[in-house]
Amino acid sequence: MESVQNLKKRIKSIGNIKKITKAMELVAATKMRRSQEIALASRPYALTALNLLANVSQLETKLPDLFNQRKIKKVLFVLVASDKGLAGAFNSSLFKKFEKYIAENKKQYETEGKLFLAVGEKSFQYLNRKKFSVLQRFAQVGDFTATEQVAPLADFIVKGYLAKDFDRVVIFSTHFKSALKQEAMVRRVLPINFEHIKETIQEIVPKTGKFSELAGGLQVTGYRLQEYLIEPSPAVVLEDLARHLLFMQVYHVILEANASEHAARRLAMKTASDNASDLSEKLNLQYNKSRQAGITNQIIEISAGAEALS
Amino acid sequence: MKLAVYSLKKVLFEGEAKLLNCKTAVGEITLLDNHETFIGVLKSGVVKIVDTADREHFFEINSGFLEVQPKNQVRCLVN
Repeated sequence: MESVQNLKKRIKSIGNIKKITKAMELVAATKMRRSQEIALASRPYALTALNLLANVSQLETKLPDLFNQRKIKKVLFVLVASDKGLAGAFNSSLFKKFEKYIAENKKQYETEGKLFLAVGEKSFQYLNRKKFSVLQRFAQVGDFTATEQVAPLADFIVKGYLAKDFDRVVIFSTHFKSALKQEAMVRRVLPINFEHIKETIQEIVPKTGKFSELAGGLQVTGYRLQEYLIEPSPAVVLEDLARHLLFMQVYHVILEANASEHAARRLAMKTASDNASDLSEKLNLQYNKSRQAGITNQIIEISAGAEALS
Repeated sequence: MKLAVYSLKKVLFEGEAKLLNCKTAVGEITLLDNHETFIGVLKSGVVKIVDTADREHFFEINSGFLEVQPKNQVRCLVN
């Protein structure tokens, strides 16, 4: 049996670990809540933008380049992971999904060029480890994503696409289903597809838990009005709108990944502190037993001594 | 008119307004009640709103869209 002093030391250190993980759990929980609120705050904007797109695209039949499907020679993969670790299976499940996707579509991608873009420190490390050439990395975003931080990423994607550096953009990110369940998912963002954007906006509302009551209510109503006065011209408005929509979609994807990261971390930390509680309970029992054994030993010694004297 | 100004971060303004002044790609415009339907691209500048209680609201924007819908409804998307 371990010595009493040793056990005491271990109990203390586990108690400290528990305190830390508990604190991290609480911090992650509030951050998750905040991320969700930020994501939901952009919903009215997103809905209005979609409505506007529906209206304008009725008037203008020629869609800008960002909408048009062209022959695919090169594909850009964007991996959205976290900057920091200690988030359970958050990053590894994303990378697993990515590997699976590549393996499934191996034939298709043999002929097409592959380019990679890393969002988050961890995804950069992963791609480097796998010896994929990373076009660019966007990291150190912080706990909450601001629009200013997403802008360079969206600009980079749009510029590259228009310059024909790549002909399709696929994003791997994490879908926030609820506080307890996140799922790695694949999304195609370019060429822009109206339905895909609608999906992204709809999915920002979790399936269960807080905020889930906001689900639904997404309606795109197009006014069948030809007498809209459009300045400077429908084509220009569409072009501009397309960029905004893409930016919005990327922003949403990253916000969702952000909320998922915090949720995953919260869960991981909860498990860790539960484990610490279990362990400290066990050690306490052991400690008490060994203390009891020590006392019994001492009593035996005393009574044996007393017997020898008499 | 019923006016709503949305940004990606939050809802900047929602409610009844008398006047909306902003810079579009073709020049500065002021919208009053019952404006004709209109879609325009906004340029960077300051958006001024006067609500029905005669209070003035100002927002600085970088870019955005303006849509005047039928039935006296106006929506702005700004960044």
